[in-house]
Amino acid sequence: MLSRNFTLQAAGDLDWIMEHYEFDSIAFSIDELVVLNVDRDISDMEQFCGNLAKISAHCFMPIAAGGRIRRVEDAENLLKSGADKVVVNSTIFLDHGLIRALVACFGSQSVIASIDYKRVQGNEEGQVYIENGTRPVGMTLPEAVAHAVELGAGELYLTSITKDGTGQGLDIEYISRIGDRVSVPVIISGGAGNFRHLSDAIKLKSVSAVSTANLFNFMSDNLTEAREEIIASGTPLATWEKTARNANR
Amino acid sequence: MISIIDYGMGNLRSIQNALTFIGASHSLTRDPDELLRAAKLILPGVGSFRKAMENLVGLGIAESIVAAAKLGTPILGICLGMQLLADEGEEGGACNGLGLIGGKVTQLETGSIDQRVPHMGFNEVRFARPLPIFTGIADASHFYFAHSYHLVGNRDDIAGTTTHGMPFTSIVARKNIVGTQFHPEKSQSHGLRLLRNFCYGPIC
Repeated sequence: MLSRNFTLQAAGDLDWIMEHYEFDSIAFSIDELVVLNVDRDISDMEQFCGNLAKISAHCFMPIAAGGRIRRVEDAENLLKSGADKVVVNSTIFLDHGLIRALVACFGSQSVIASIDYKRVQGNEEGQVYIENGTRPVGMTLPEAVAHAVELGAGELYLTSITKDGTGQGLDIEYISRIGDRVSVPVIISGGAGNFRHLSDAIKLKSVSAVSTANLFNFMSDNLTEAREEIIASGTPLATWEKTARNANR
Repeated sequence: MISIIDYGMGNLRSIQNALTFIGASHSLTRDPDELLRAAKLILPGVGSFRKAMENLVGLGIAESIVAAAKLGTPILGICLGMQLLADEGEEGGACNGLGLIGGKVTQLETGSIDQRVPHMGFNEVRFARPLPIFTGIADASHFYFAHSYHLVGNRDDIAGTTTHGMPFTSIVARKNIVGTQFHPEKSQSHGLRLLRNFCYGPIC
């Protein structure tokens, strides 16, 4: 697992995260887990699936997994390893047939389109990029969103490259401007640096969920506190018993 | 022994993980005779209604499920598995269901921003009447949903409702048959509790 900064920082392997972050407890502070394979080496898919299987044995919440999906078989392996949904990114623009095949095989609700965009000026449209923000696809964000929905994606995962890794807040002004027209659920990410950023974003009608990979949010009880803060700010989130163990009593 | 019906529709690992976690012995099966002998059945499912029914009929297990239901075997249908309990579905072309719960499965209406389809994420379930499988779970608890279709059935079979833009049936129950539109195996402590109630307790 790595922070989803475009200059990726290694945060530790799975065992390290399980040991240091009381993963079982954190798991009860979030609605959903997104696990992305950012390894450049495609042959590591097997290891990634192994890790996914380990995580899913302890997580009784939805898991979305992705990265390096080039064939239907890749998606199938992720789903068999415990993912409920797959996350696709560059494939949305490079291989339409694969996206349609994934939707046909596993249903729209199993396919999340992850779209990264850059937007520097306050009033301009976001421009969509692939390959870690290095290659423009020649579409604005609203165009790319319409394209992904047309291909059958059941959820969108929109990341502001400009905001990502800054901790300065999510791109809520823009998303609130374009998000109302989107017919499928929208998850936004990039820029969350404190609890307030998360609660401000999730308040928006056009935002279905907020995602964070900022290590700040994985430290001590931060995720639990963030959840309490969001609820206190007036957004009704689900509440559960803190540990899965309680369900066995 | 709980039998999880394996008919090629969707990921069964998460249900197995959840049953392992609560300590309920279980097996995957597609053997029609084994289904008839099972203490309890779980009918999971992700994908299209029509394809699912084709698989159930093709494997010769649709009849076994109906026969087991008549014998009084407790059956829990999850998500598409709940929808398959109905008389008919329209996803992938009109098609008969198992007919264990009356009604028809139709597409969720999409409209305002509060009604994005698919309906994804945790949402509140209001219990319509007390059932043993709700033991220890507060009314209006949150469960995880991921669906574009819903079951429109008889009022008497509604055991829980949820609102996504408009109210829909999120739990059905008739005698030994229960169905949840949400995924209990993906619904944190509430879902684990519901599964535990199903596995260890009476169903009606």
